[in-house]
Amino acid sequence: MTTPAQTSEPGRGAAFAGRVKALELQEYALAIVVVLLFVVGAILKPDTFPTVDNVRNMLTQASVVGVLAIGMTFVIATAGIDLSVGSIVAAAGVFGGILVGDNGTSTLLFIAGAVGFALLLGTVNATAIAYGRVVPFIATLAMFSIARGLALLLNDQLPVSLLDLNGGSFGNPRVFSLLWFGNGRVFGIPASVYVFIAIAIAGWIVLNRTRYGRYVVAVGGNREAARIAGVPVRRIIFSVYVLSGLLAGVATVLLCARLGSASPVSGNLYELDAIGAVVIGGTSLAGGRATIVGTFLGVLTFALIFSLMTQLNLSTEVQQVTKGLIVLGAVLLQRPEARY
Amino acid sequence: MTKVLEVRNLVKEFPGVKALQGVDLDVHAAEVHCLLGPNGAGKSTLIKCVSGAVEPTSGEILFLGEPLPHGDPAGSLKRGVATIYQELDLVPDLSVAESIFLAHEPRRWPLLDLDKMYRESSALLARLGHDSIPVRAKVGRLRPAAQQIVSIARALSGNVRLLIMDEPSAILDEAEISTLFDVVRRLTGEGVGVVYISHRLDEIRRIGDRVTVLADGRTTASGLPATTPTDQLVEFMVGRKVDQLYPDRPVGTDRVLLEVRDVKRLPAVRGVSLQVHAGEVVGLGGLVGSGRTELLHLIYGLDHPEEGEVMVEGKPLRSTPRHAISQGLGLAPEDRKSQALLLDWSTTKNVTITDLNRFSRVLLDVRKERERAREQLRALNTVPDDPDRVVRLLSGGNQQKVVLARWLLHECRVLLLDEPTRGVDIATKAEIYRIIADLAKSGFGVLVVSSELEELVHICTRILVMREGEIVAEVDGSDATERELLRHAVAPTDAPVLAEEVV
Amino acid sequence: MSRKRLLGSIAALSLLAIGVAACGGTKTVTKTVTVNGNAAAGGGSTGKTVSIIASVPPTDHGWLGAISKDAKAAAAQHPDVKFELLQAADSDSQAQQIEQAIAKKPDALVVLPQDGAALTPVAQKAERAGIPVINIDRLFTAPDAATATVLGDNYQIGVLAANYIADQLKCTGNVVEIQGLAGISVTTDRSKGFADTLKKKCPGGGIKIVAQQPGDFNPDKGLTVMENILQAQKKIDAVYTHDDDMAQGVVQAIRNANRADEMFLTGVGGSSDAMKQIKEGGLYRATFLYNPNMAGTAVNMARLIALGQGFGELVPPEVPRQVVVPAAVVTKANVDKYEKYAFN
Repeated sequence: MTTPAQTSEPGRGAAFAGRVKALELQEYALAIVVVLLFVVGAILKPDTFPTVDNVRNMLTQASVVGVLAIGMTFVIATAGIDLSVGSIVAAAGVFGGILVGDNGTSTLLFIAGAVGFALLLGTVNATAIAYGRVVPFIATLAMFSIARGLALLLNDQLPVSLLDLNGGSFGNPRVFSLLWFGNGRVFGIPASVYVFIAIAIAGWIVLNRTRYGRYVVAVGGNREAARIAGVPVRRIIFSVYVLSGLLAGVATVLLCARLGSASPVSGNLYELDAIGAVVIGGTSLAGGRATIVGTFLGVLTFALIFSLMTQLNLSTEVQQVTKGLIVLGAVLLQRPEARY
Repeated sequence: MTKVLEVRNLVKEFPGVKALQGVDLDVHAAEVHCLLGPNGAGKSTLIKCVSGAVEPTSGEILFLGEPLPHGDPAGSLKRGVATIYQELDLVPDLSVAESIFLAHEPRRWPLLDLDKMYRESSALLARLGHDSIPVRAKVGRLRPAAQQIVSIARALSGNVRLLIMDEPSAILDEAEISTLFDVVRRLTGEGVGVVYISHRLDEIRRIGDRVTVLADGRTTASGLPATTPTDQLVEFMVGRKVDQLYPDRPVGTDRVLLEVRDVKRLPAVRGVSLQVHAGEVVGLGGLVGSGRTELLHLIYGLDHPEEGEVMVEGKPLRSTPRHAISQGLGLAPEDRKSQALLLDWSTTKNVTITDLNRFSRVLLDVRKERERAREQLRALNTVPDDPDRVVRLLSGGNQQKVVLARWLLHECRVLLLDEPTRGVDIATKAEIYRIIADLAKSGFGVLVVSSELEELVHICTRILVMREGEIVAEVDGSDATERELLRHAVAPTDAPVLAEEVV
Repeated sequence: MSRKRLLGSIAALSLLAIGVAACGGTKTVTKTVTVNGNAAAGGGSTGKTVSIIASVPPTDHGWLGAISKDAKAAAAQHPDVKFELLQAADSDSQAQQIEQAIAKKPDALVVLPQDGAALTPVAQKAERAGIPVINIDRLFTAPDAATATVLGDNYQIGVLAANYIADQLKCTGNVVEIQGLAGISVTTDRSKGFADTLKKKCPGGGIKIVAQQPGDFNPDKGLTVMENILQAQKKIDAVYTHDDDMAQGVVQAIRNANRADEMFLTGVGGSSDAMKQIKEGGLYRATFLYNPNMAGTAVNMARLIALGQGFGELVPPEVPRQVVVPAAVVTKANVDKYEKYAFN
């Protein structure tokens, strides 16, 4: 029979804990994990892991899920969840591919189509959740199925080749053509990495330095109090799912660029990776506390794990167990209050 | 006279904080011993040591002459020490009987003996004079007052000799408090010793036999008679003379700020009209369930009225909080922890949330935000005024100041306050009364809902009494007495409040 | 406010409705019996109609799509067959679907299980209820789970691939293996056949399998896995993949890294994309035919079993317990011959 702490116990010890440092501690811990993983990789595979080329490779691989994870951070900050992003990635890609057509070469059309379609699907989620009062888990679970179905339906279960969207030259895609987003580099850094980092920075700014970001976290932290304080709760909830859909569209552009095609079976379980990255980064599933830096580090963590384990040629079973243990470890590093 | 509890020189240190620095307390059997003291004085810590929830650093705790096992709540409970916390620790989905016997259910091993459980629960409730509470009802559906009785019955089920009650009247209205006092007297009649913690001095006088005052982790006065005058008690608490608990009563002007016309939303509010003028403090008194909170919510736009209008300076309000806020209304809700504050946020963020426009064109000027918030908090004498302090760690009184700071920052014109001094210590209460009076003086209109009639009587220009969804009386502040307000508030048939509204 | 709610509710309801229909829904096809059907090989029409229910896994792959098409096409050839095709959403719902199918008491069940081990119990149940089960491709793990089995020879595919690669590399070089979905018999057999044959063919250990990772039959997984392997391995001579569709991702990774000249690649399945690339020549050199037509074979066998007939060539005419469909090597040299069997 203990009461929750109601009265303050003033004193210097409490003051440190009292300052809003919980999140930052979590971020430091994850940064340590990232460095540790890198060091382990450098020791185990000194010729191939700590190379510029491999770092480029890992960052590129991180970009697709990374973009999804940024959107997921906003959704989870409102105490919601979006299980449909992986399926939306597939559906949007196929839609964009069909729009461009068999002999089309317009990158702009593909991007507009893919992002637009993803935005549409995100908006359906948003409407059902914010206005239809459907629980986010259920609504996005339904979309998870629907979008996957659409991806298979739109082109009769076939992938759409996008190899022609290279600005005219095979093997050396023109800048800003679709394939350039997959392989093109600017100052040695792949284009998709720029996109990911730009979105991460934008995400940080919006979350931490705008009214909107403050409202998003308020809605997740205490919906009733937010409402009473004048936050437009319903609109905020609507917006985060639209945002998630939009970013899924961006992610599919990056994925299709590298794949050279839009595959209806792509994006499989990407949402779990995104959610995982967000959670180990320190954003609370219960809402009210979110960190973009944490998500970024979480995405890097997963990319490092994947790269290292593949390079070490570990079997699937070992990979799955190891990944699970690392995630568990990262979560346990969180402070007790932050664990839920 | 048997000493049920003796506490000698109790010391408790937490890392960085000395919560108790040598506390003495004596409680006799069959007495109601009140424990008084400002927040942070150590009352909670003292109780937790006695109940075993916390292990003391040094000192003695003797129960019926025997030392109490340290840090062993189950052991203390078994010996006969029961504690009823302010946030009743009941599980809403369990039935009354299950709650009473939780963790020591009667068994016909290996199954529960349900019949015995129901029988004995009824018996316990009867001992408390409340056998009308149905033992099979789910606790979550009972009124807070009835839930409290269930907690007490739970304490009784363990053969309690010492009952500690932490601010039990905080969730009750006048009538329920009287009922509670009857129960307490029954218990003392059976020889139980009761430790009763409260901020309300009037209650101490009504129910207490003796008083001990704590301040800063020490006993400043021990075993005083409950008839000790208020000034002395307050002086023992705060260490200095508090000249006046209540400031000068504000006098209103003619300018109408808020007008409520025939607002109705069944079943809680059946048609209410009122006005709040600039410069006045209007009180809303009444029993729990009379519809006061619901009325505030209707005015603020949290709920939609079925009929009627609300106008601020002549302009009608659309029924949304955002519109109300934009027209100058502010609401400090009844449960500040769950309805007003974001507990994991800093004080700054809680203060500025309503008015972020002020600090941002595109991006938020975080520095400016902190400055203004700190200014506001300082103006209200918030302790600590650290703009980054997590609000969860502030005392009740200071949390309330954060809420008020929010509305002052926003520069609203009419403040709606719902139980503004609930869970707030004496010294901070005085400050809040002063803040309210100053606001009125500077042209605000204030509408205050409170269950503490004494408070209303002292700080309001006018007092409206609500009963069953309607305003049944209006009394001028300077003429009002508690008795008169209570008379208007209580239904003429005077049936026991608890039984009626249990399910 | 109420209009918003209405709009929201409609969106929510339609979402849920479509979701319920799409998620775990069954796609059923019933062919009507035409009077003038052609009597296909393997037994003439006896005037009796047999009902056959086929259960296949979620069609997240071109090959599986082809299976469904071939099964339907085969059934359409027979006027005396009433055919229903069930497509599952996942392993669990496939088991449920089969249970429901058993309740309908068909004359035969044709099953391609998502996971052979997981669906063995329900297949046994069907057999015990007197419904003959014909198992395609992914094997059940108990002999009494099926009356007859039609499978591709996955082990033989591994053998053919190893022979081909060993010949091309003259028994020296680094090989990377991109496997299918870990844990199913198809994958295990293809790997084992490959490894065993390499050992036999190149006893000196000249060919090394330097990396072996699952690509889950998925192109984007194939892409990312190969990207990482390319980082780890500085010299790769050949890539053995378990699947043509998945290989598209692998191919892209190699091209993106500008290492297409360093190695060559083989696939499995005979997709038209693969055949096209083999025809063009270059990175994609061979694929091993693993014909989805085996579904047609299975349906035909199911019909015979249901009618109580058998293969005329056998003495006495019966339906063999196991039919193994041979694999073929498709390279630039003979791709023209096999193009018509390609699946999309």
